[in-house]
Amino acid sequence: MVKEIERTGIPVVHMCTVTPISMTVGANRIVPTIAIPHPLGNPELPLDEEYALRRKLVDKALEALSTEVDDQTIFEV
Amino acid sequence: MKLEVGYIDIKGIRFGDYNAVEDGILIVNPEPLLEPVLEDPLIKSAHFEIATPGESIRITPVKDVIEPRVKVEGSGGVFPGMISKVNTVGSGKTHVLRGMAVVTAGPIVGFQEGIIDMTGVGADYTPFSKLHNLVLVMEPVDNFKQHEYEAAARLAGLRTAVAIGELARDLVPDETVIYETPTVAETFKEEWKHLPRVGYVMMLQSQGLLHDTYVYGVDAKRTLSTMISATEVMDGAIVSGNCVSACDKNTTYHHQNNPVIHDLLAVHGKKINFVGTIITNENVYLDDKIRSSDWTSKMASYLSLDAAIISQEGFGNPDTDLIMNCTKLEKQGIKTVIITDEYAGQDGKSQSLADADELANAVVTGGNANEVVILPPLDRVIGTLDYVDTVAGGHAGSLRPDGSIEAELQIITGATNEMGFNRMSAR
Repeated sequence: MVKEIERTGIPVVHMCTVTPISMTVGANRIVPTIAIPHPLGNPELPLDEEYALRRKLVDKALEALSTEVDDQTIFEV
Repeated sequence: MKLEVGYIDIKGIRFGDYNAVEDGILIVNPEPLLEPVLEDPLIKSAHFEIATPGESIRITPVKDVIEPRVKVEGSGGVFPGMISKVNTVGSGKTHVLRGMAVVTAGPIVGFQEGIIDMTGVGADYTPFSKLHNLVLVMEPVDNFKQHEYEAAARLAGLRTAVAIGELARDLVPDETVIYETPTVAETFKEEWKHLPRVGYVMMLQSQGLLHDTYVYGVDAKRTLSTMISATEVMDGAIVSGNCVSACDKNTTYHHQNNPVIHDLLAVHGKKINFVGTIITNENVYLDDKIRSSDWTSKMASYLSLDAAIISQEGFGNPDTDLIMNCTKLEKQGIKTVIITDEYAGQDGKSQSLADADELANAVVTGGNANEVVILPPLDRVIGTLDYVDTVAGGHAGSLRPDGSIEAELQIITGATNEMGFNRMSAR
């Protein structure tokens, strides 16, 4: 899906937990996330801390989206 | 460790008014065996059914398959930390009821339980069609929580297997085999110096959410990679507690009879020097994957391995654990062979594994789990066909009006096993 959308000229950020798979399949902008069952959150955190975590992940994804890359790049959070 | 395993061949199962093994026939009196199962408040009802190889029987949804064993001499008892006390097993003497299994079935726990056909095309794909199966069919109470029902069903199966195994305590085995694993010091002895030092890396499914494996009762996702003796595994130190796709689930039976362990022991001291077994997990956090595979490679290095066989359970993100284990060993100069299976699409044309690396250049595959099979209607169903359309491998319409089933191989218990348990092959 990442590659097909990019093929149309729209840049994509792949947010995922297992970044090696993302590298293998050829995503260009990768943001590592929390865990496979809950990539964009952490149910063990209190609500306010979790909100902050989610916000940080989305901000990082937006930053990645607006960053020029020459090669496959992992944007560490 | 040295374990003497006495195999008692089971040639049939029948119901009777007492429990015993007589002349290779298991006689089952259900009532006393069901008593402990029904003590669990989550189990509403339970009964036994018998499935014999070649009979027109379909068992589904299958949760686990367990071989009855009993510890006759030596410390501990079978399924340590789970049913028996946690004491170390793997030494002394164990009796095995060979040729039979306790199969747990009944309304579904998760969405990844399987089918065992006792005859026809489906039977060719599962090793359990060749066993005399005592099927424990359970029904949970209403409003159960899935994980609690899973635990109840798992323990019920293990308890039943232990009770059946106990019947073999005083029997004279049909065959006795002695399995012995060396200490690290012994592996360096002069007469084995010319043999390649080979280890076994056994990956245990531990993704959570009904995808768990237990080692001496410990949930494997809460462990670091560690070592275990091959004989401990034979005594039930590793127990399946999971609902991964039926085709590549390592049932408790697979663990008890791990073919990699048996084959390595068979050539130990002759063709290779089987140094030891490392167990490692398949967790859902990337840090865990990195840490566990690092730990595996550290241990492989401590053991001065020349080569290792790596087996997997499940598919998808565990492919990353597999590739990490493989590449980290290869980069240290330890040659690897990985045993896996493939999800290459129904036409077999897609990428087989979710992760890949060119260092993974020696691969044994259990087959393509997406391959479509058509299972003929069978005369009798043990369990229920209610879930055939919704378990992994099935689709809306899998169960056809005439009772036949069109589904992916995924749906058959043990069909693409990643320990290499099966014998079917292709050119």
